[in-house]
Amino acid sequence: MPDLPPRFARPGPAGFAIAAGALALVVSAIGGAGVSPTAFAEGLPALARFLVQAFPPDPSRLPNILGALIETFQMAIAGTAFGVLAAVPFGILAARGLAPGRLVQGAARAVIALCRTIPDLVWGLIFVVAVGLGPFAGTLALAVDTIGYCGRFFAEAMEEAERGPQEALAAVGASRIGIIACAVLPSALPGMIAAALFALEKATRASVVLGLVGAGGIGVELKVAMDLFNYAEAATILICVFVLVLAVEQASQALRLRIIA
Amino acid sequence: MTAAALAAERRAAAASAPPIAVEVQELRKRFPGGQPVLDGVSFAVRQGQSVALIGANGAGKSTLLRCLVRLIEPDDGAVLLFGRPLRPLGPRALRRLRSTVGMVFQRHNLVPRLSVLTNVVHGAIGRSGPGAWAQALAPRAVRAEALACLDRVGLADLADRRADTLSGGQSQRVAIARALMQRPRLLLADEPAASLDPAAGSEVMTLFERLAREDGITLIFTTHAMAHALAHAERVLGLRAGRIALDEPARPALAAQLERFFA
Repeated sequence: MPDLPPRFARPGPAGFAIAAGALALVVSAIGGAGVSPTAFAEGLPALARFLVQAFPPDPSRLPNILGALIETFQMAIAGTAFGVLAAVPFGILAARGLAPGRLVQGAARAVIALCRTIPDLVWGLIFVVAVGLGPFAGTLALAVDTIGYCGRFFAEAMEEAERGPQEALAAVGASRIGIIACAVLPSALPGMIAAALFALEKATRASVVLGLVGAGGIGVELKVAMDLFNYAEAATILICVFVLVLAVEQASQALRLRIIA
Repeated sequence: MTAAALAAERRAAAASAPPIAVEVQELRKRFPGGQPVLDGVSFAVRQGQSVALIGANGAGKSTLLRCLVRLIEPDDGAVLLFGRPLRPLGPRALRRLRSTVGMVFQRHNLVPRLSVLTNVVHGAIGRSGPGAWAQALAPRAVRAEALACLDRVGLADLADRRADTLSGGQSQRVAIARALMQRPRLLLADEPAASLDPAAGSEVMTLFERLAREDGITLIFTTHAMAHALAHAERVLGLRAGRIALDEPARPALAAQLERFFA
């Protein structure tokens, strides 16, 4: 009988070289990022002071905070809605086999990549310059970010749609748009809705931070509280944000399970 | 009988015979990097005739069926449907022509998340356009016609059901109703019973034959089941090595020859 094969394959020279290279990259990154255990240890008392001052949270401005929280969520919903609507045509144009030509497909993919690679905070800065301070700038930033996120997933969901119904629709004489409307979109819909709900979760988290660059929402309240060392109020804001994000995530997960089933 | 009398009789028979519905001339198709799948296929089918197309796996039956409506573009040769050559047709004219040719697939190819009625309404897309994208958008007459087509296949009571909740046999009957919704003159079926159990397969084939006969539809179906070929077709065409190697009327005596053909 032959010997049992070893539990782990011995890596070859190339494997060793890749592992050593990856380790060197991580070590150099830690050095370059200024990671310092001493500075962390020295910062612990300051962190403890923040926590002591933050608790118990101060609910005196709760009505204002809740108002800002609602505005934040409204930004997230409106930005996601606009972004999802715009992502559908971009997704169709970017999907292999659905785009009317390679040039159009390339252009659509480039737009989606541009929307995705620039962080939402930077889009916030750009739209504050364009439309001024306030929630509209944040909504636009979230919409563009959603186009980048959903456009890619929508295109993938449409590319993976079953071919059989598409062939059947082509056989009955449907046009390209007819095939997309009747066969591709219904097949891709569960994936698209799941992506849209993830986008809403992402937008809810992002909308909190957008206030830091003046693009509206509860981030403005958080920044003012932190700047004034009003940590107890900041703690109230963080708890409100935590509850909102958690509620959106739970609702989104429940909806996804229901739709995919 | 003299030669002249024989020729006169043949001319008279040809004059009284139904016109040609499908004419295939020297059709050739080779997929990149492979052997020719179709290597000079020629045959003609008269209107109202039902034809079984048989052959081993990979013989080119499905490819041939798809070439008949240019779902696959042939490399060479010609296809004429009701005397009209397909090759010169532009996209719009091709769609119009396809809308009159019903096609039923082995995997049924219904849109799974949509209702049974919407899937049948899709059969009217060629003539009704976006009005037939969904039963909710369709005019009352289109919806009523779709329900009548479902009734003909015995599934009118399942109109509201989602297509992905149907059994295999039901699903294939809905696909047949969708094809009927096209008001077809020609029905092409690619191994319509292959994914079904024997009883459901037999039911589906009987339904095909009955509907085609009732409406005077020309029927071409591919099959591996000799029993289906002999029971439900008037004529059997056999494909081998990309060519028509058998062309016989379907009769019980053909069974032995078909056994040899598949051997």
